[in-house]
Amino acid sequence: LGHGSGGLLTNKLLDSGVFDLLSNPILDTRHDGAFLELEGKTAFSTDSFLVSPIFFPGGNIGELAVNGTVNDLAMCGAIPKYLSLSFIIEEGLKVLEFWEVLVAVKFACEKAGVHVVTGDTKVVEKGKGDKIFINTSGIGKVHSKANISASNIKKGDKIIISGQVATHGMAIMSVREGLEFDSEIQSDTTNLNHTIISLLDQFGESIHLLTDPTRGGVATVLKETAQSIDLGIDIFQKDIPIDDQVASACELLGLDPLYVANEGLFIAFVAEEVAEDFLSELREDGNGLHAKIIGTVTEQHPRQVILESAIGGKRVVSMLPGEQLPRIC
Amino acid sequence: MLKTFKIQVGGQVQGVGFRPFVFNLAQKHQLKGTVSNNANGVLIYVNGTKEELMNFMEDILEKAPDAAIIQGHSMDEIEPREFENFSIVPSQKTAKVAIPLTADFAICNSCKKEIQDPSNRRYRYAFTTCTQCGPRYAITQKFPFERALTTMGQFTMCESCVIEYKNPKDSRFHSQTNSCIDCGIKMKLLANSGEPISVENEREILSTVARFLKEGAIVALKNTSGYLLCADATNPEVVKKLRERKQRPTKPFALLYPNMEKIREAFHVSNHEQRALESRVCPIVLLDAKQQTKGHLAEGVAPGLDRYGVMLPSSALLTLLAIETQTPLVATSGNIHGSPILSSEKEAREKLSTVADYFLNHNLEIVFPQDDSVMHFADKQRILLRRSRGLAPNLMGYTPKPSEKVLAMGAHLKSTLAFTPNGHTYLSPYFGNLDSYEVLQRYTDTLQRYTQLFEELPEVVLVDKHPAYQSTILGKELATNWKVTVVEVQHHKAHFAGVLAEHDLFEIKKPVLGVIWDGTGLGDDGMIWGGEFFVYQNHQIELKAHFEYFDTLAGDKMAKEPRLSLFSLVNSEAEVEDKFSKAEIKIYQKLKENSKLGTSSVGRLFDAVASLLDVLDVSTYEGEAALLLENLAWQYPGECIDLLEGKSFGNVPSKAIMERLIALKHKGESKAKLAASFIYTLARVVVKMAITFKISTIACSGGVFQNRLLVQTLMGMAEEDDISFLFHKEMSSNDENIALGQLAYYQNIKE
Ligand SMILES: [Fe+3]
Ligand SMILES: [Mg+2]
Ligand SMILES: [Zn+2]
Ligand SMILES: [Zn+2]
Repeated sequence: LGHGSGGLLTNKLLDSGVFDLLSNPILDTRHDGAFLELEGKTAFSTDSFLVSPIFFPGGNIGELAVNGTVNDLAMCGAIPKYLSLSFIIEEGLKVLEFWEVLVAVKFACEKAGVHVVTGDTKVVEKGKGDKIFINTSGIGKVHSKANISASNIKKGDKIIISGQVATHGMAIMSVREGLEFDSEIQSDTTNLNHTIISLLDQFGESIHLLTDPTRGGVATVLKETAQSIDLGIDIFQKDIPIDDQVASACELLGLDPLYVANEGLFIAFVAEEVAEDFLSELREDGNGLHAKIIGTVTEQHPRQVILESAIGGKRVVSMLPGEQLPRIC
Repeated sequence: MLKTFKIQVGGQVQGVGFRPFVFNLAQKHQLKGTVSNNANGVLIYVNGTKEELMNFMEDILEKAPDAAIIQGHSMDEIEPREFENFSIVPSQKTAKVAIPLTADFAICNSCKKEIQDPSNRRYRYAFTTCTQCGPRYAITQKFPFERALTTMGQFTMCESCVIEYKNPKDSRFHSQTNSCIDCGIKMKLLANSGEPISVENEREILSTVARFLKEGAIVALKNTSGYLLCADATNPEVVKKLRERKQRPTKPFALLYPNMEKIREAFHVSNHEQRALESRVCPIVLLDAKQQTKGHLAEGVAPGLDRYGVMLPSSALLTLLAIETQTPLVATSGNIHGSPILSSEKEAREKLSTVADYFLNHNLEIVFPQDDSVMHFADKQRILLRRSRGLAPNLMGYTPKPSEKVLAMGAHLKSTLAFTPNGHTYLSPYFGNLDSYEVLQRYTDTLQRYTQLFEELPEVVLVDKHPAYQSTILGKELATNWKVTVVEVQHHKAHFAGVLAEHDLFEIKKPVLGVIWDGTGLGDDGMIWGGEFFVYQNHQIELKAHFEYFDTLAGDKMAKEPRLSLFSLVNSEAEVEDKFSKAEIKIYQKLKENSKLGTSSVGRLFDAVASLLDVLDVSTYEGEAALLLENLAWQYPGECIDLLEGKSFGNVPSKAIMERLIALKHKGESKAKLAASFIYTLARVVVKMAITFKISTIACSGGVFQNRLLVQTLMGMAEEDDISFLFHKEMSSNDENIALGQLAYYQNIKE
């Protein structure tokens, strides 16, 4: 890809078909901004994506950027509609690579049923970026039955995870560190909005909280939640779904899978009465084949997340302060 | 003219028979007045002339009960008051407590005799105590130390006990824990199912327990400091069963022997060791087994080790049990999965029912449960391995800045708390790994009890620099709640300050070399330290040298798998080929190439050597590799090789040590010789550093200095090279001293 960050090159880039590929009536107006018709309660979310390497088994940064924001909207109980898309490209990125990312964006949008309605591209000098950074923001209409708020969480609520943990993080780790395992670990990045919407149709307000355990993993999300609700959380190691290959990779590297990042995964706090139905419904969905009830909200030990290990014994789960530094003296 | 004096005695003077002692002394001196406990210790009002009082005071100081530790006294003349006699008056709580908490005392010899004498009314009473022995800290609810303020308060003394309590000539005169079989603590024996096992006579309960033990049962027994799991140590099946049920594959078990004679028959015991065993602390002491003993004891007691943890009965209960069984018993803390020692019947039922066949309970509530303290000796040097019952919670050796109320949160794996609410240092017993929810609860409970007991909240909270220690996380949270400052102290500087504090060296003019070697701590440079050389001078600590960094691999897993340390330290894969699969080698090679986190850990260096010498590749308990390596090294009686001979260095070349070892291993040198030479080399490194920096006072801290051979070798070199080595005294050298170190660092070191 070219050099400098002048408007010319950017326009050229745009003219060369970036927005043709993502074509839709709103984007096609090529105005400075998008005109949107919104009514009712609306959710708005933004995220920036920096992942190294940008291509990894099971996906690339393009679909990650779309799915990330789509999922954040879904976690708000919203039906994602519109996205903005901004690229910050490091000089020297191969054109082919860029197109590959762009195509991934396009397909991810189609799959999620969202439109990119505004966008931007900047090129930075070599060394000032890491191949490509993407920012996406998204707007969605909140589902009529949704009432998602940590303050709805009650004692006895069940904590349900939609699939196997640590998959995305280990997929990235394996390519980044050049680790070869018996078979390739694929990222689980995917859009969760259709799954969530159909669950909301059915369970509405019984779904108290939806959250995606991305950075910092399941542990960090649960600890943050426990602290915000002033209740405790009990989880059971034996119930936490994990792929054998991923589990042994974590074991080998001395990583705790609970702290490893996930992508196509969500955690739901649901009312005790509907938990089993919610679970079987979720399991019917392609994104929930491995879904499990992993824990319960409790009045014991407020603000603490306690993991009951497979051999018994209770472990304190805390937030990950940066990397997993050794502590054993 | 009538003169009245007020005498105040401070220190560990409550719960040690001090008031009855003063009473009897006053009778002897024919003085009138009163004695009571108060917030500052023991308070005496007495009439007499100045001269009479001087004599009286002298006697108090000289003849005080053995268990007392006097820390300061004062005598002032006050407004004259008339007394008709000399009496012990009830304590009045007029101020916040400001004396040490009395530690638990092991059963004394005279109580031991009474419980074995069929004609004595305390024959076979399992909770026999006197003013000189019994639980103290374990049962303390409030202050001062008065029966009503302990969990003994729920037991009402019978007439016979009251008579003893009131009789100045009796050894139970004013004994706060006084009780007998008629009025005292009741035992209950239960089967695993919870069904009570009926015993005709209470005095027979322990014979029944002894019978069960001999038949190969595991018994969870509530001692006065917490539950112990007991089993016949000469029965291999039951020891194996205990290991399986407790899920503790190899970590050595401690042994209970009925008396010193039996211990001497089975082990080599030095004078220092004997004195420790028979002391009021009554700790577990590690002893060298005689040849025949190893055959006699079940192999599973201490797999792969020639030394055993041995103790005498610390209570009447254990005395009676040990006498009944006669055979050595495994007596290990009643817990599971690294949770803290249990002390309530309910918890024991819940947690130990998969382990114990029988439960021996009693109805004395334990407020502060404690493990047994553990120690061993390098000649005369006592090396504490675990500071708990009998030693906690006082730390007499460090006087904090009087007005500063500091709370030090300690480390993570061997957590302890230090608190200075009133000019004394209280240092909690060892709690354990704070990742365990139960341990964290015990830790926070204790913290809360301390703040209630002393009626003070800290004004500053000290934590380790490591952000992921539970103690750091909790300390920061508490500081926020209390709206006080939190200060981070680097782990190894805390270790160094800890040993400086124990030797009161902060005002010394000459520089002190700090040799701080342990497993892991987060360094100031973001690396994982564990092999540091500091210099202390003029209230400053400066890092001077360290072991050369080598790559950390696989986070905390590295500490659990000594073979990973070896992997990190060798240049050629050939040395580790047989310890890993091909796929693992590929992956770890990659991790090593990508590793950005270096470590100077001597603990990991020990691990690597243990793996190289095929002592241990994967460990099942903390410190296992170092322990086994030391065990191997002791087997070598000859001359050692300095593995760094002829090499000059600034930072210690860890890899050069490994290379030399590998070369010698290939030459066919014995593994014992190599193990011994490794430890010898480390000792030489210390001496070389002392020479380089021209410093003759060397203070050692960190878990590595639990190694007896290393300490003994250093002390040998001290004489040759005119160096003085300082080790921890009241503290263990491991992370149990971090709380003290944080405190001492904060109060004495300028950044
Ligand atoms: Fe340490
Ligand atoms: Mg996000
Ligand atoms: Zn006694
Ligand atoms: Zn009685």
